[in-house]
Amino acid sequence: MRITKDTPIGQDFNGRLKKMSWERIWTFSGGAFTSAGWPRKNLHTDTEFSKNLGLPTVGVSATQYLGHLAELMLNLFGEGWLRGGKMTDLKFLKLVADGDILTSKAKVIAKEEESSGVKYTLEICCENQQGEKVLIGHAIGIAPL
Amino acid sequence: MVEKKKKTKGKIAEGKKSAHLMEIGEEFEPLEFGVTPELNQQYLYAEEDFNPRYIEKSEFGPPLVHPGLLLNMSNNTRSPSFYLPSGWGEVHAGEETEYLNPPFVGKKFKVTWKVINAFEKRGRPWNVLDILIEDEDGLPIMRRKMINTFASKELEK
Repeated sequence: MRITKDTPIGQDFNGRLKKMSWERIWTFSGGAFTSAGWPRKNLHTDTEFSKNLGLPTVGVSATQYLGHLAELMLNLFGEGWLRGGKMTDLKFLKLVADGDILTSKAKVIAKEEESSGVKYTLEICCENQQGEKVLIGHAIGIAPL
Repeated sequence: MVEKKKKTKGKIAEGKKSAHLMEIGEEFEPLEFGVTPELNQQYLYAEEDFNPRYIEKSEFGPPLVHPGLLLNMSNNTRSPSFYLPSGWGEVHAGEETEYLNPPFVGKKFKVTWKVINAFEKRGRPWNVLDILIEDEDGLPIMRRKMINTFASKELEK
């Protein structure tokens, strides 16, 4: 799936389902594997730490599923997205817990031809397995003419 | 949103200021780190993304650093000067991210963090950070605006 100059407004795209397993949460938020005492204890990796903060359980780091959205953008726009691509108005709406399954989504809401290509504005989100949005925002990328 | 800074309770460790008390214009200590193939591939597993662009080669030549790695390493909790008292946590509430240039495996990167807004909302401290990642050649790689609030049982009293 790739966004081209002919992609219409209203076209939507889904990324792959990703399960937030303990293994992947610890790997992302526990520090480098080689660091002493891995995984580092914080509100992403340790249930007791999180409960001491008043949270019901660990919260997956928002940057972990922002990484899922970045993957979707790179798949849609190509590696050129790393030169000028943006994600804006991002809001993290709901705690993502261990075991949650997330899907990154994008929908074209505007397109505008520029000298460098066609600038696309997308509405983006991550949804959990219950269809609840855990992250919302917008993304901007350029498709070549 | 009221843009007014109001101090809230919190202990200050010697030499370090709690993140929830940081004021506009203050900066966290920068972080420098190198990305080896091993560290990058740790994040490929974390992100469940094994695209060859991160392992073999990219359109630009060398393999790319996964964006998730850069996002994680540029959270202000990674700064050597980041501090919160026991029982406090930082909650990432919002974000803007701009990707400026491709990051390559094998390079070293430097992250800087500056407080550009600080206020209280609904009884919680909030701050907004301007974050810049540059590579060892001074090339800007990513710019972020990170919006954080803070959680503690002290705030619920």
